[in-house]
Amino acid sequence: MSPVFALAVIAYVIATGLALAYLIQRAEVIHRLASVVIVAGWVLHAVSLLRLGLELGRPPLGTLSEALSLAIWIAVGLTLWLERASGLKVLGAFVLPVVSMLGVSSAARGLGLAQMDRALTSAWLWTHIALALIGIAAFMLNFAGAIMYVLQERQLKARRPGAFYYRLPALETLDRLTYRTLALGFPFLTTGLILGAVWAGRAWGSVFAFDPLAMLSFVAWAIYAATLAGRAAAGWHGRRAAYFSIVGFAALVLTLGAGLFLPGRHGS
Amino acid sequence: MPLFVSGLNHRTAPVDVREQLAVDEDKLREILHDVQATSALSEALVLSTCNRVEVYGVADVPGEARAVCFRMLCRQRGLDPARLEGALYTHLEADAVRHAFRVAASLDSMMVGEPQILGQVKDAFALAQACETVGPTLHALFTQAFAVAKRVRNETEVGRHAVSVSYAAVELARKIFAELGGRAVLLVGAGKMGELAARHLVEQGAYPIYVANRTWPRAQEMARALSGTAVPFDDLPTALGAVDIVITSTGARHAVITHDMAARAVHGRGARPLFFIDIAVPRDVEPSVGSLANVYLYDIDDLRQVVDANIRERAREAHRAEGLVEREVAKFLARLSDVEVVPTIVSLRARLEDIRAGEVRKALARLPDASPETRAAIEALSAAIVNKILHVPITKLRESSRAGAARSWTQVVHELFGLGRAAGGD
Repeated sequence: MSPVFALAVIAYVIATGLALAYLIQRAEVIHRLASVVIVAGWVLHAVSLLRLGLELGRPPLGTLSEALSLAIWIAVGLTLWLERASGLKVLGAFVLPVVSMLGVSSAARGLGLAQMDRALTSAWLWTHIALALIGIAAFMLNFAGAIMYVLQERQLKARRPGAFYYRLPALETLDRLTYRTLALGFPFLTTGLILGAVWAGRAWGSVFAFDPLAMLSFVAWAIYAATLAGRAAAGWHGRRAAYFSIVGFAALVLTLGAGLFLPGRHGS
Repeated sequence: MPLFVSGLNHRTAPVDVREQLAVDEDKLREILHDVQATSALSEALVLSTCNRVEVYGVADVPGEARAVCFRMLCRQRGLDPARLEGALYTHLEADAVRHAFRVAASLDSMMVGEPQILGQVKDAFALAQACETVGPTLHALFTQAFAVAKRVRNETEVGRHAVSVSYAAVELARKIFAELGGRAVLLVGAGKMGELAARHLVEQGAYPIYVANRTWPRAQEMARALSGTAVPFDDLPTALGAVDIVITSTGARHAVITHDMAARAVHGRGARPLFFIDIAVPRDVEPSVGSLANVYLYDIDDLRQVVDANIRERAREAHRAEGLVEREVAKFLARLSDVEVVPTIVSLRARLEDIRAGEVRKALARLPDASPETRAAIEALSAAIVNKILHVPITKLRESSRAGAARSWTQVVHELFGLGRAAGGD
């Protein structure tokens, strides 16, 4: 693993600590410090991705660890942008733990170790991976928004304001956040999965072929599809939509975990 | 010359003493002029609100200055000065700075974080300035106190979180609906507190406002007062489906809004949240309404609980603000004491530079054939020696000022180098 990527992951872990400290303390200094560390980590991360790509002579998406690393990078970028655009300063405290967790597991598996079968690489493949990754990044934020929604909703229903009542934004703000991130992530994940299936069909002659990641990813997709349909058609909002988002993300993490640690065609 | 603050506040003096001592602006003007005439204080500012009467000043003998000021205040109000004994506190130097910062930042207020005090301090400062009793020390102190108050307001939440039931309801509404602009409100009943909460919502942009009342003329009257629309009491179930926030404050003996009624309204409105604020006792909304999806129901006890939680949250934030004030006090004192030693450093440098320039001139006069290189070397050599000699004394002076011993050090330096009158020794 490249030391630059290790540094980036360390920065994310430190930023997670700072973001959580900000959630508790709400001292402006801590938030500024956290922002600096995140940006530093993000830039280091970009450098490591670039270097890896140049070294391998192909997009740094060949293994699932590499792909995960890029997904994290996109998610962190989205978080930085959203925090600035919407003034939602506590967002980091809910996204970064997931980022750190995935970052550490990606780092643990190592990057750029596996030799790609030249015959298997194609523009189709890269597009399949890249699109799915943007979807996954958006769902990281979707998950963070859903967690915040559930916490705030509980406080308001219980009629006893606790720590989260003061720290989290309004329910409608959070509902909008989860809806928008869902609407952003879903088309990317869908297109990514379709391309993957088509490509798998051409390369191996079958769409699923007992690959655990492929199977599970369709489960996650189905959950997100149901959430989106529920929101768009049945007017689901609030708690139910938030619960579905959380379950969907759990399925997604399970999918990635299966890909990272179980043998299969997506294996590292 | 020492800075001091002396006075009494809501914690040290009962209200009858405070109200007797509180003085209006004209009287304050007189007192400030009298104070100026006594020459017991070189600078003075009097802050008089319903919760505190304080004199901020700079005086050689703060104890005497305090006695003079409060004698005047008591005479002005016909109060026996003996009654103030025990109620008066006095803080000096660093403690006085801290006190000024805490008062301006509303950390010393009866209701911590209340916003009026800063304006009152600003008025007192403006008045003292108009009376020309503000000198450099008080000017620096209060300019900084206003900056600290602003920081506390911006960086902590000590002034946020409603401490009244009607405002707590508005804040809750904002935790459900991010924006209150364009939210429809239904006011049921004519209770005072309900009207107040509705008014707060209107101020936040809530619109339109519907008013329902069993007495039709009363509904119309209230609707006019709130620029809203009166709706017949029987249309309540329909109205429920069309609004986002419902405030109830009727005198009815039984629930006006039943579970069934609310459930039907919720069913018809998709998943938009519906917020019930029930201020009536006995309650107007059946408690089970609160268990409906996307419905939030707060009765008067719930709102009081929220207010209590808000007050606790303010106290936690006040604790954070105290730390901020503490750091600002240290910074202010450091700057103030730097100001004390800077004139000495400047004149010390000037003195040595005079000597150096004079000696270099003499030496060069004796060396008419010296090349430009030699002249430059002599200049550089002498300048280097002066700088080396000055380095330690200047460092020591700065350190001494931070340790609070600036005065004795500046005096020694003035004596040793014959710098004339010692700064700060007057």
